[in-house]
Amino acid sequence: MQLSLLQGVLKAVRAGIIVFDAEQRIVLWNQWMEQHSSFPADAILGKTFGEIFPDMVDGRTHVALRAALQNNFASLLSQTLNKAPFPLFANAGDAAAGIRMQQAVHVMPLEVESLPRHCLVQIGDVSMAVAREKKLRELAVELESQTLVDGLTGIANRRRFDQHLDDEFRRAKRNASPLSLIMIDVDYFKDYNDNYGHQHGDECLARIAGALCGVLHRPRDLAARYGGEEFTVVLPDTNEDGALQIAEAMRAEVESLKIEHAYSGVAGCVTISLGVSTLIPELAAKTGSLIHAADRALYQAKRTGRNCVVVYTDSKN
Amino acid sequence: MTTVLVVDDSKVSRLLSKQYILQRHPDWTIAEAASGEEAIDKVEAVGPDLILLDLNMPGMGGLAAVDQLQAKCPSARITLLTANVQDATREKANALGIGFAAKPITEALIDEILSAFGKQ
Amino acid sequence: MFQLTELQHDALIEIFNLGVGQAAAAMSRIVGDEVTMSVPMISFQSRAEVARTLGSDEGRRICAITQHFQGAFSTEAFLMFPEEKSLEIVRLMVGQSLSLEELSEMEQEAMSEIGNIILNCCMGAFANAAGKELQGSLPTYHVGTGDNILGVSGKEWDGVVLTLKIDFNIERHHIYGYVAFLLDMPALNDLQRYIDAYLAKLMG
Repeated sequence: MQLSLLQGVLKAVRAGIIVFDAEQRIVLWNQWMEQHSSFPADAILGKTFGEIFPDMVDGRTHVALRAALQNNFASLLSQTLNKAPFPLFANAGDAAAGIRMQQAVHVMPLEVESLPRHCLVQIGDVSMAVAREKKLRELAVELESQTLVDGLTGIANRRRFDQHLDDEFRRAKRNASPLSLIMIDVDYFKDYNDNYGHQHGDECLARIAGALCGVLHRPRDLAARYGGEEFTVVLPDTNEDGALQIAEAMRAEVESLKIEHAYSGVAGCVTISLGVSTLIPELAAKTGSLIHAADRALYQAKRTGRNCVVVYTDSKN
Repeated sequence: MTTVLVVDDSKVSRLLSKQYILQRHPDWTIAEAASGEEAIDKVEAVGPDLILLDLNMPGMGGLAAVDQLQAKCPSARITLLTANVQDATREKANALGIGFAAKPITEALIDEILSAFGKQ
Repeated sequence: MFQLTELQHDALIEIFNLGVGQAAAAMSRIVGDEVTMSVPMISFQSRAEVARTLGSDEGRRICAITQHFQGAFSTEAFLMFPEEKSLEIVRLMVGQSLSLEELSEMEQEAMSEIGNIILNCCMGAFANAAGKELQGSLPTYHVGTGDNILGVSGKEWDGVVLTLKIDFNIERHHIYGYVAFLLDMPALNDLQRYIDAYLAKLMG
């Protein structure tokens, strides 16, 4: 009665169970193994590991089998490091296509009364778990790519800026309203980093970002980190004068932070240069032209001596 | 008169190799070095016919010592000893034209090395 | 603290270098690239000292794989990496990069296997040298401070920790970790006896 109970269990259990004797011959091959491999038990029993699995000889599984039989050690073969060691398939379709089942394998020594040590191999189907993990990872990657915040400063990142500028550009086009852009670059930032260290450099950028945001009050105004030490500000429904005022306020605000910078070529503290451009976009206009103009103005601000604001005008080229 | 230079940072390993070799050839001379650097210093004076070189030693290590050992003693046959048997190591040994044997050091291993040496 | 003679110390280091060398060969087959491992140093310390080395005082977390061995003697074996290092290993062996919290079930399993390979190889080398029979359990995965991990053995315990510093080199990355064995007084005495027997056998 005991025996038929155990046989019933082995038949019903949803995991592969193989037992090898001391000579590496298969002495137990349960129904799950029959179902998921191409080997029925009567064809397999009595054959050795090497005879049934010639490709696996001296591989990790074989080494583990020997470690169990000789050293009495248990081994784990993780799915991640051992892709489907045994030729097992979830179903006939997969078998035909040669798609092996993802397996987690445990190899354990087995004490058998009055016989030399045997080895028990337990195989679990982890295909579902693997698929689930893959999905989770994909979602995590997607989530990360959707982030719109710059990690260092906490203000909008480049992605957010690009999206916002596009939105506001279209709106300005529709409403024939002026859209202004400020391009900002921190003066002598490389020298700051080189002399005060990157940690201070990071703190400096964060403080500047805070100062810039402090000047803005309207909901659709946006300050963003454009690149390493570059910032940009989108000012919808703002003409040139208005943009100039905001830019000057920002310049003053950053200067008033009085972040010490003994290596600046223009002041004893950290300052910024700003380039302003304004456009009432026409039908064929593109955001690129607004950005390019602000960029040219910024370049001019640097040339003029830094720590100042320059507004783009057509005559300057 | 055959001389063997055993190079290994482990005293126990040197002892083992020496013992097993002398068991087979009691008339041979066995010299020892505990590092690649020491082996290079000694090799000319010792003039070995066979060098057993442990791969994993502090300092320059076995592999780095091979060039200078070959330069100073071109007639010596060199066999690299390591527990870490992998393709990369095999390839390096082949590239350098030297022999290769897998630790642990046992009588059987020494026999294998000696018979390969004897055949050349 | 417990001390070995120079020769006993040398024998033990060589035995463990043998073990980790074989483990490195196994890992290199898995990762498909060159892996070297060595044991530059072994020491006998208290649990508190080991925990300190692992940054317990600063609350630094480590990743640990543990296995229990028994038979000729009894010990709890650990493979431990400081948090960032274990992530590096996982990344190199497995090809993913996540924080310790995010370390998925699959990667924990991979780390467990790495621990399993290294601990089995170390103990295997020792068991063979000593000519003794041991029995090893499957690995379990833990994350915590050194204090948490080493106190995990559960029972009241007052012995010594045999600690091996392990140098890994994988794909030109240099990582270090620790293998530790908790040894109570009986186990420590057994260890010495087995090493002496091994040396006696060597001397012929």
